[in-house]
Amino acid sequence: MLAAGVVMLVVTNVCYLGIAEFLRRSVDAVNKGNRDVVPSTVTLLIVFAIATAVTRIVSRVWIFNAARAAEYDLRSELFGHLMKLSPAYYRDHPTGDVMSRLTNDVQTVRAMWGAGLVHLANAVTAFATVLTYMIYLDPAVALLAIVPYPLIFFVGQALSKRIYRTTREVQAELGSLSARIQEDLGAIQVIKTYGLEDVRRAGFLEGSKRLLDKNMEAAKVRMQLGPILNTLAPLAVALLILFGGRAVINKEIEVGAFTAFSASLARLVWPTLTLGFMLALVQRGRASWARLVQLHDTKSDLVEGTGEPLPARSDPATLEVKQLTIKIGDRALLEDVSFTLRPGSITAIVGRTGGGKSTLVDAMCRMIEVPAGTIFIDGRDVTTIPLPSLRAQLGYAPQEAFLFSTTIADNVAMGYGGGTAIPAARRAELERVGAAAAAPDLSNEPRVTDAAKAAGLARDLVVMPEGLATVVGERGITLSGGQRQRVALARALSAQPRLLVLDDSLSSVDAETERLILASLRKVMTGRTAVLISHRVAAIKDADQILVLDQGKIVERGTHDELIDADGLYSELYRTQLDTEMDIVQEAS
Amino acid sequence: MAVASPPRPTRKSGLEAEQVLGKAYDVRLIGRLSKYIKPHTQLLAGWVVFMLVTIGFELAQPYLVMYALQHHIMTGKASALPVDALVFVGLVVGQNLSSFVEQWLLQLAGQRTMHGLRIAIFDHVLAMRAAFFDRIPVGRLMTRMTNDIESLNEMFAQGAITLIADAVKAVVIIVIMLRIDVQLSLMTFATLPLLFFLVEYARRAMRKSFRQIRVRLAAMNAFAQEHLFGIRVLHLLGRGKIAQQEYDEINAGHRDAYLLQIRADAAMYALVDAIAYIAIGLIIWWASGHRAQDIATVAIVVGFIGYTEKFFVPIRDLSAKYAIMQGAMAASERIFQLLDTEEFDGGVYASTTKVDEPATANKAAPAVELAGVHFSYGAEPVLRGVDLRVPRGATIAVVGATGSGKSTIIKLLTRLYERERGAIKIDNVDIRDIALDELRERVTVVSQDVILFAGTLADNIALGKPYDRARLDEAVKRVGLDRALVRRRADVTAKVSERGSNFSAGERQLVAFARALLRDPEILVLDEATAHVDPEAEELIERGVQELMKGRTTLVIAHRLSTIRNADLIVVVDKGQVIEQGTHDELVAKGGLYAALEKTFRRQD
Repeated sequence: MLAAGVVMLVVTNVCYLGIAEFLRRSVDAVNKGNRDVVPSTVTLLIVFAIATAVTRIVSRVWIFNAARAAEYDLRSELFGHLMKLSPAYYRDHPTGDVMSRLTNDVQTVRAMWGAGLVHLANAVTAFATVLTYMIYLDPAVALLAIVPYPLIFFVGQALSKRIYRTTREVQAELGSLSARIQEDLGAIQVIKTYGLEDVRRAGFLEGSKRLLDKNMEAAKVRMQLGPILNTLAPLAVALLILFGGRAVINKEIEVGAFTAFSASLARLVWPTLTLGFMLALVQRGRASWARLVQLHDTKSDLVEGTGEPLPARSDPATLEVKQLTIKIGDRALLEDVSFTLRPGSITAIVGRTGGGKSTLVDAMCRMIEVPAGTIFIDGRDVTTIPLPSLRAQLGYAPQEAFLFSTTIADNVAMGYGGGTAIPAARRAELERVGAAAAAPDLSNEPRVTDAAKAAGLARDLVVMPEGLATVVGERGITLSGGQRQRVALARALSAQPRLLVLDDSLSSVDAETERLILASLRKVMTGRTAVLISHRVAAIKDADQILVLDQGKIVERGTHDELIDADGLYSELYRTQLDTEMDIVQEAS
Repeated sequence: MAVASPPRPTRKSGLEAEQVLGKAYDVRLIGRLSKYIKPHTQLLAGWVVFMLVTIGFELAQPYLVMYALQHHIMTGKASALPVDALVFVGLVVGQNLSSFVEQWLLQLAGQRTMHGLRIAIFDHVLAMRAAFFDRIPVGRLMTRMTNDIESLNEMFAQGAITLIADAVKAVVIIVIMLRIDVQLSLMTFATLPLLFFLVEYARRAMRKSFRQIRVRLAAMNAFAQEHLFGIRVLHLLGRGKIAQQEYDEINAGHRDAYLLQIRADAAMYALVDAIAYIAIGLIIWWASGHRAQDIATVAIVVGFIGYTEKFFVPIRDLSAKYAIMQGAMAASERIFQLLDTEEFDGGVYASTTKVDEPATANKAAPAVELAGVHFSYGAEPVLRGVDLRVPRGATIAVVGATGSGKSTIIKLLTRLYERERGAIKIDNVDIRDIALDELRERVTVVSQDVILFAGTLADNIALGKPYDRARLDEAVKRVGLDRALVRRRADVTAKVSERGSNFSAGERQLVAFARALLRDPEILVLDEATAHVDPEAEELIERGVQELMKGRTTLVIAHRLSTIRNADLIVVVDKGQVIEQGTHDELVAKGGLYAALEKTFRRQD
């Protein structure tokens, strides 16, 4: 379609020559008094004008649509790639930066393909055809008249470099002003309680003023381009008056040819003017393209397992960890960790902050790469299992529960691969403009309601405006930390997982609610292998085994009573339990 | 963020509805914008003058060609041609010099207007109350002050304002053509109805298309952003495939939303050109049929061709300008929605009466008093009738478990949030009767999460107040910050990077103490940090706290046993209520919640 569009553009420019030619003949006819040929030449003039218009429409539609189609492919490909990159990648790369590639850079590349290509192809064919035609009319006048054009090209190029530079300076200034706004908005409570409004305002004023100045500097360069090019292009007309006029007087060319020259030169002005703009487009497009290629070439550090997927079954899983060591640089996050989760058992992992609990959980869920031959599920090395198959066995409820801006029911249903993650507010807008069908309501789906009940959500749902159909997040209601954790727990349960991992997932839940949840969880955990990470003794006391992690090593293991008797780190942690609870004080907002 | 903002199931303010489907012209919005443009009227007046000059120079050019053709070229006066060419060059140079000044004035007016608007938004946002920031994401507020302002500025650079120039130019061209030849002019204008229908078609198509594009683009970006934030969960759910399907669905919708716009844009661009040539064809045909075949006719025809082209070019670019206008109007609508949000800090209780002098207030009354205070974040009750009295000069320690509502007391005391029921008084004066800035001057909060601003350490301690270097040094010394600085071989001129990331939690605490000490507040509210720091820093912090509280009315949310034991009164909060209070010994003897908590504190120490 792109190639066809470009061919069409060439046809357009050839058709345009027809306009110029019949304009010449018409004017000559008028000049010489050949009135009878005027209607036919004028008709042909109009026919060519319409043909030019039609082919131009077709070429633009084809090229721009092709660019949009390519943009679609690019986005889709990139998004798929981003979904594959491991969480570790996102720890090192701010989401804002990745988003900007997916939005701004993709658009810049599309502009290069669409507008850039149209202008480039148009400029090249316009120059080629018009020049040929003018030489056909009169070589001498043609060559003299186009003298300013090379000049236009070089000036345009020189200026476009300056435009590029000043534009980047504006971007940098805008960036630092944004950083300032972000700093202020992030510190709003301090600004208010310390009465810093005036001081911060003064700083903002200064930044805004600097942006204004940079903008004016850039505008000055940009504003030079138009007038300079606009001065140079009509110079061709001045030359035409001088030499073309003389040629008419000397009867070397007709008045019609003079008019055709004039129209042809006018024709070249626009492609020339857009040349600078186009160069900037291509320049920016190439820079964006390079960034996209770089992103696309980033490999995920999680290697997809190439073995058979695990067979579907519903019995509790067995998990073995054998001499697992994970290092970042020289620092061992986990060292020589070995243990077994027997099917249907409950294992608690405790330890101080930074002791390696999170790393261990990440390793068990294969959120970070683990050495081959260290973790086995049902006897299979996890590195050989395809990731989706592995994760289908797991239900994971994190401490920092992430919910999508959709209904609670959708969020819960995601556990078993249901629900939609399209933000509900956006979906409603799409529905309003007729671009999407209404999302199915999952709030009566048994898998969702059962999971919600088991996670202790029932009490919360009663006070919510629409129960399970209540939208959370963007333009929905904001849940408390405890409520979010419970929804995430329900999500993990809805998967009916063979291995359930609760990663400190009840830390923001008050003790009473926790007791209720734990009571119902015990029911849910039967028939599953479960791993609990918690600070609260109530939650871990009854576990079949307790692993105590410290500085990446398992320093103690056993049941609650055994460990209390051992009087080691666990018993110390147990005794300071209330203290720990005090320690994880979260600001109430 | 454990805060649930009030549920708003029914009414959604415009600010939350990000989606605005702007018209290209909205008289109401332009009217509101004019308030910000007004200060720059002089620049705009200058712009009008130069705009007219530019148009004059530009439109004289086809006339000159026509004149040269009629009087020199076709009559064989070759000697006059160099003069013609020179005059033409003069006109061109004049046009462009004038055009440069014209553009410069317009840009300056635009940039200054945007600067003013930016400041207005900033002032407005900073005046909002704390709950506003819980609800509206920072990113959205930033977009108002950056991207939206930029797209509004496009209106000055390439949109509405230049449309005025185009319209003036069109009128002048029409007048010139009519003066040259009425009949030929009418011939040209015969194509105008065609043009009108074309423009109207394109306008409608674009409007419809933009509406679709906006919604779909916003949906696509919101979807992608959320998926990037939630990447961990997506991995764990193995949702990659479903996510890709959902994304592609919106992505395809986004691509297809452009179909109409691309068609309309192409039609507009190409057909306007065609109509221009149809007009030229008509001119020639009419001239050949109805005019004497002479030099004048040919010259007039050529002149008309020149003017017709100049007439049609701005119309051809109309669709591009339409897109810019649409974007600018949508941006200004969003900006004004923000400016219309009236959730001011202090809000309905904005105080008009200032307390004359603290001295005239009741000295016998407690410095701070809370009586039956209730508060909830949304539906979640946080405080359920808290009573608290802090006598002048005393230190009260508040202890309690996570989520008991301790930190909320501070927020109500400084009126970051407004209590729902009950009374809060300082020197027996309701804090709602004290001007906000005065209240916050008298009550200084040291929070556990210390925020540092980019700049120097001294700036961060003085916080914008002119300070005496000696006093600052003294404060630094008294809280022990000087010793911490020695450890890192730095002094108060040390650079602080964004959000103070180059300072440790312990150091930041000491900076906060120095800040508070320099302010020398009447009432100190201290939310003790729980951050783990090394023992040496721990010792510095402990000493700093003692120094800060010395002889000052202090309310401390305590986590350190030393702080608690030194307090004159200990208040135990649980589930939003005060359940015990007394001295350390009394409470230990009582054997209640405090006694249990105390054991753990002691072990920690």
